Amino acid sequence: MSEHILHVRHLSKSFGNNEVLRDIDFTVDPGDVISIIGASGSGKSTLLRCINLLETPSSGEILYHGENVLSRGFNPAPYRARVGMVFQSFNLFNNLTVLENCVIGQVRVLKRSRDEARSHALEYLERVGMAPFINARPRQISGGQKQRVAIARAMAMDPEVLLFDEPTSALDPEMVGEVLTVMNSLAAGGMTMLVVTHEMAFARDVSSQVVYMNGGVIFERGRPEEVLLHPQRQETADFLARFRG
Amino acid sequence: MSIFSQLGSDIAKLWVRYGGLYLSGMRNTLVLALIGTVIGCLIGFVCGVLNTIPCTSRDHFLKRFFLKLIRVIIRIYVEVFRGTPMVLQAVFVYYGLPYFTNKAMHFASYWTASILVVSINTGAYMAESVRGGIISVDPGQTEGAMAIGMTHVQAMTGVILPQALRNIMPQIGNNFIINVKDTSVMFIIGFPEFFAAHRAAVGASYQYFPSATLEMAGYLTMTLLASFLLRWVERRLDGESSYELVESDPLTLTSGTYSHPNKGTPFDEHGVEFPGSGRRRSGQ
Repeated sequence: MSEHILHVRHLSKSFGNNEVLRDIDFTVDPGDVISIIGASGSGKSTLLRCINLLETPSSGEILYHGENVLSRGFNPAPYRARVGMVFQSFNLFNNLTVLENCVIGQVRVLKRSRDEARSHALEYLERVGMAPFINARPRQISGGQKQRVAIARAMAMDPEVLLFDEPTSALDPEMVGEVLTVMNSLAAGGMTMLVVTHEMAFARDVSSQVVYMNGGVIFERGRPEEVLLHPQRQETADFLARFRG
Repeated sequence: MSIFSQLGSDIAKLWVRYGGLYLSGMRNTLVLALIGTVIGCLIGFVCGVLNTIPCTSRDHFLKRFFLKLIRVIIRIYVEVFRGTPMVLQAVFVYYGLPYFTNKAMHFASYWTASILVVSINTGAYMAESVRGGIISVDPGQTEGAMAIGMTHVQAMTGVILPQALRNIMPQIGNNFIINVKDTSVMFIIGFPEFFAAHRAAVGASYQYFPSATLEMAGYLTMTLLASFLLRWVERRLDGESSYELVESDPLTLTSGTYSHPNKGTPFDEHGVEFPGSGRRRSGQ
């Protein structure tokens, strides 16, 4: 059981009497690139936020290497440092430069030296093509650039899993490509990723598994060609048809 | 016209006789207002951080109890010190200490008592301003900090408070200027500030109006100075409006060793026919 990085069991989440997630079960293994697709409001983002403990699930378990992160007294900070997250709205620290954004977590949370953190941050900023902009502030760069910095910030923590919450949904169409290229290269490098996305080409070409969610429930899970080309459920087929049209 | 020249000569006479008194009063006023505002801001920030410690139903009940207790204590502190006049607080604190300790303890100097009262009073206002400042920072900033494993205090000191500080700078300025003027009530415990200088000077010279004119000009000079200073600090906090591109490669060791595996691939979902071929990394 503990060979899974993450094992979500019977997870449910309600906001008031609105049940957003119902009895979710799934696992994340090393090297998995899982795309979660589904209509807006189907609970995709909430699932991701529950995994990172930004939301408190109503019931169920999330096992991280066999340890339940929802148990009383569990310290979420070190766990979150191992499970990185990239947000739809970037959430870069507005008071810091691009470089400082990628350094602060390493220094404060991982207790790395400033020099070590700096060279590590530069390595990832280089990989996402943002090295020339290290002195810029978040308000001075474009959306696509912000998201690439956000990915570098998450990667600089050397996480075990990276969660992406609709990373391209807030971007202009011409900026989507630059972010997907970075994510593609991360996947090719063997990074374990859980991606909530509306980019069907990414789900098809890059991910090892596709999960289709509808109404807070996982309807289908399988290899991309299974789920995307030969869906078992009518709801999945209907959802996919909207992208083909 | 002659009335104005009369006023001018009266003020000049006052200045010649009591200039040192006025000047030291101004100095004491500024020092007291500055120290009081700085300590008050620190109190406000501590209250703001304590007030916003997240607590969920998963936390231990003792932790939840203490957090609740802290919030109640801060609430009482804010309401009491914001809701009573500072002149009374000064009397209350200065004469209260010897009264309650049977004269065993008293304030060694009016400085200690004055700084204490002004700081606590400013802190009560600042606690609410800081709370507002923290609320005004986008919740996404906190989530971003949490998501890389920062604790509440790390997120606050590294990310939220610097932004909250910028947002409440106008409030801090307000408090400083209010303190420059309102420390005048400290004459009640014998603190020799600027207004006390007026009382001393007119007590001897009976030149009420000329001295008041001098005081008006003095206070206005101090507050205008403070306004300019605060604007300057705000501009400093905003940082540069432009940035330098780093053209030379800052990481020569790793440069060139990385290449995009699929550079230029049209990932746009509208660009490709859906069941196309393309690179697949499926089912490994």
